[in-house]
Amino acid sequence: MFKARNRRHFSEQCFALAARLSLIICAGILLFLLGSIFIQGISALSLEFLFTPSSSFGKSGGIFYQLFGSLLMVLVAALLVLPLALGTALFRNSYNNNTGLAHVMDQSLYALNAIPSVTYGIFGLIFFVNLLNTGISWFVGSIILAIMMLPTVTLSSYQAMAAIPKIYHENAAALGLTRTQIVRRVTLPQSFHGVVTGLLIGLSRAIGETAPIMFIATAFSGVTVPQSLVEPVSTLPTHILELAQQSTDPQALQNAWGASLTLVLLAATFSGLALFLRSRLNSEGHQ
Amino acid sequence: MNTVSLLNAKPAPRRRDATKAYCQASAVLSIVIVSVILLTLLIQSLPVLLSGDNGLFGARWNPDEGKFGIIAPLFGSVFVMLIATIIAFPIGLLTAIYISETRSSKLRRVIKSILELLAGIPSIVYGLIGVAYLNVWVADLFDLQSGRIILTAGILLGIMILPTFLTLTEDALSAVPQRYRENAKSLGMYRHEVFKGIIFPQAKVGIAGAGLLALGRALGETMAVMLVIGSLDRLPSPLFNPLSSGQTITSKLGREVGESAFGSVHFSALVFMSFILVSITIALTILSHYFLTRKQADV
Repeated sequence: MFKARNRRHFSEQCFALAARLSLIICAGILLFLLGSIFIQGISALSLEFLFTPSSSFGKSGGIFYQLFGSLLMVLVAALLVLPLALGTALFRNSYNNNTGLAHVMDQSLYALNAIPSVTYGIFGLIFFVNLLNTGISWFVGSIILAIMMLPTVTLSSYQAMAAIPKIYHENAAALGLTRTQIVRRVTLPQSFHGVVTGLLIGLSRAIGETAPIMFIATAFSGVTVPQSLVEPVSTLPTHILELAQQSTDPQALQNAWGASLTLVLLAATFSGLALFLRSRLNSEGHQ
Repeated sequence: MNTVSLLNAKPAPRRRDATKAYCQASAVLSIVIVSVILLTLLIQSLPVLLSGDNGLFGARWNPDEGKFGIIAPLFGSVFVMLIATIIAFPIGLLTAIYISETRSSKLRRVIKSILELLAGIPSIVYGLIGVAYLNVWVADLFDLQSGRIILTAGILLGIMILPTFLTLTEDALSAVPQRYRENAKSLGMYRHEVFKGIIFPQAKVGIAGAGLLALGRALGETMAVMLVIGSLDRLPSPLFNPLSSGQTITSKLGREVGESAFGSVHFSALVFMSFILVSITIALTILSHYFLTRKQADV
């Protein structure tokens, strides 16, 4: 009896110890990741770094055109995905009568989420760059990023639409509004925050993507502001990739850290805005 | 007057509902996009499937000799994924237990936000960290010339899938009603017994979903793996030697797609690999959605 109790006590101690140890390991990993990005990045980062173009294959100079290219590509992607995601989410919310079409659509969105990023790059290379013969083009990159953002934006919009209290719809219907009017006057304004949150989360993921755009949309050096839709740009992720491959050169590595910190800060800004929006609207929702 | 006007009011004329048509078109377009992606990959894999004597299911990859064996990268992908799993799952599960059993909602919120931030670090930045630190440490630790080996990729990948797995597992554990814990504890059960006997059976479907989703992520991860795995197109010898350089499907694609000519058998072999990868990750994700939604329906 006494022995059994001791063994149970011992297991309990082990369990507690293992859980604590794991938490410490996780915290350690976290500190190491954020610490290395910030400490290494901050010494490279300056206003001058952000606003001068890179030179001698990225080893010196800054990241101005990379920054510009990244922002251009993801913002255009957001503009492209917005109408499609809104329509899809509205369909799912307002016009879906549990049809087969809605079911197929759900599975399609899950599938889009599951496709590895490098595959998007290959698809873009085959379909746009070669079959449609666009050549290396930043706009194709935007289209591909928009497709990648589609599930995130659609699901976030749809969740916001589904969270609108049913009574709003019933009241609007009782007032004699048609379904279209309900969509325009009730559903869209009431779910606007979900759409914006989804877009911001999509942006924060898209800006860090490398694999989908590295074959189809970017060039490493000698690129400035594109004059047409079918020109390459430079982006931060592909710039980091090139510099990371010369990691024995301390100057290249230094610039890679600076670009990384910029990228992480941009992604964190987008997702931070999304978190802020969500928490503010959640607290409103409780009232 | 009201009654009269109501009686006289005509129902709104039924015109074509533009909004509805627009929404239906969007939904159809979403489906079309997925179908086009999958079909494109399938059609472009045909050349290598139809050209005979290319050793497609062998271990040898040599475009000059016309050998396109996909076994080595396929094995590499699975091997790296296994190492990542061995690292991430126990740590993730134990940490999730710690967080969910603390019951400080403020601490939970803070940790959740940090995890979201971690999951938002782009994979290329993980790759840079791998190249700058992990690489060197692993090489020093095992006294190797280069740290670009399967083990490094596995560790890095484990770190990358940890936030996803941890946060979803924690959701599953927290979804178990609080009174179950209280009842069990009032019966005098220790915490590990509460977990083993009460919480885990309730949450295991959700944990399985989290695990599958993390596996899908691990298989599809490209940039970080590509930078640290060493890109060697051979099966490691002996087979389960984590200290040799290797290749995963994704690192292979990342390295070679840009170099192979469109329309060649070489390109087609790469597309075929990508098609296999997509099939696996889609299957994993749909299965994990099935688990995760079933968990919600149960609770």
